[in-house]
Amino acid sequence: MIEDDLRAAFARHETLAPPTGPLRAAIDRVAHRRRRRRLRLRLGGTALALVAATLVGFTALAPPPPAPSGQVAAPTSPAPTGALNVLLLGVDAAGGGRRADSVLLVHVPADRSRLYLVSIPRDLPVSLPGGGRDKLNVSFAAGAGRTVDLAAGYRNTRQVVAQLVGVPIDAGAVLTYPATRELTDAVGGVPVCLPAAVRSVHTDRLFPAGCQRLGGAAAVDLLRQRYRLRDGALDRDRNAGRYAAGLLRRIQEQGVLTDPAGRQQGVIPVGYMIDSGAGTAGPATST
Amino acid sequence: MTYEEFADTRLSALLRYAVMLTGDPHQAQDLVQDTMVRVQLNWRRVVRSEAPERYVRRMLTNQYIDWRRGSWARRVLLRGEPDEAVPAPSDHAQSAVDRDQIWSWLSRLPRRQRATLVLRYYEDLPDAEIAEILGCAVGTVRSSISRALATLRAETVEVH
Repeated sequence: MIEDDLRAAFARHETLAPPTGPLRAAIDRVAHRRRRRRLRLRLGGTALALVAATLVGFTALAPPPPAPSGQVAAPTSPAPTGALNVLLLGVDAAGGGRRADSVLLVHVPADRSRLYLVSIPRDLPVSLPGGGRDKLNVSFAAGAGRTVDLAAGYRNTRQVVAQLVGVPIDAGAVLTYPATRELTDAVGGVPVCLPAAVRSVHTDRLFPAGCQRLGGAAAVDLLRQRYRLRDGALDRDRNAGRYAAGLLRRIQEQGVLTDPAGRQQGVIPVGYMIDSGAGTAGPATST
Repeated sequence: MTYEEFADTRLSALLRYAVMLTGDPHQAQDLVQDTMVRVQLNWRRVVRSEAPERYVRRMLTNQYIDWRRGSWARRVLLRGEPDEAVPAPSDHAQSAVDRDQIWSWLSRLPRRQRATLVLRYYEDLPDAEIAEILGCAVGTVRSSISRALATLRAETVEVH
């Protein structure tokens, strides 16, 4: 009987089982290592979940650029559950044909245990919604046109990125230079650890290798640097990732975005366009 | 129950189970290690389930079925001592009486079928419990077993 043969074969091979002692030690070692790493990531993860929750908690906000008035709505929806994809765009100086040179996709898993920052190269050739192919960073300008409509540019880039990566984007924000400056200062500076020194081509400021806390102006300066970096725009993207991680950590430490009083004081700066994910009907200025 | 108590009492049984699944002590170690690391990190969730052991067995089985799907076949095992020399069989009938023939046939079964056989004929679990571990219907377990047995029987007939 084949069934009996099977039983016998299984029983015979029980002796193959190795001793458990070394295995037990190996399990403990790996678990210990992973627990430590998880702890480190949790810091960042919590911060991000917080930001994501805050972003989605707001209704869309995009103050008309000529008449700056940083108004923020009270949270209208409960904190989101489930995995989230948040799109962060860093755009260059105002003027016609604004480009989104820093494109960061942040994935927050449903259990909020960690976060994934995916930086998308701005030079990536993509199909634009209006037809034609161009670099990713152009998609923002293609949406916004000659206007300074951040929301339109954001929507266009969001569509391109969603198509490119094949994941839905639940929320997002656009950061202009002034917005980045104010946000950075509002959280009391952002820690950034650089693997190599960077000298600004704009201000000649030297950012030494190692960890430092950057104020608003310095952060913007660093985020603009590309020419003297070894990998050019790719290195700039890496710096943007480091900045984003530091910013999120600061936000968590301070609880700024979740503090209603902080919002009243205009902590969310002008030019910080937020997509609530709720349909994104447009640049709804809220009260 | 603490994780330590669980590992003290159940680790060797799980390891034997993994050996039956993978047919190889080294892969079994890998499989158990990967599973038990997750068990340890998520111990609270494991212990909250009504039957931690079944929960872990289920984790391990799923890991075996899904884990790096397809890559095991390509994996090369590097180890110090050479494989035991298999004497070249004089003919097929000779190899059929080789005690380990059925063991090597097992390795050609799809993983899910092999897991079903191990749970049935090594762990002696009833169909309902096997279905729960594999996350499928009882009928699927039965058809899976009969298909696997048919394959093994065909091998036996072929060499006779």
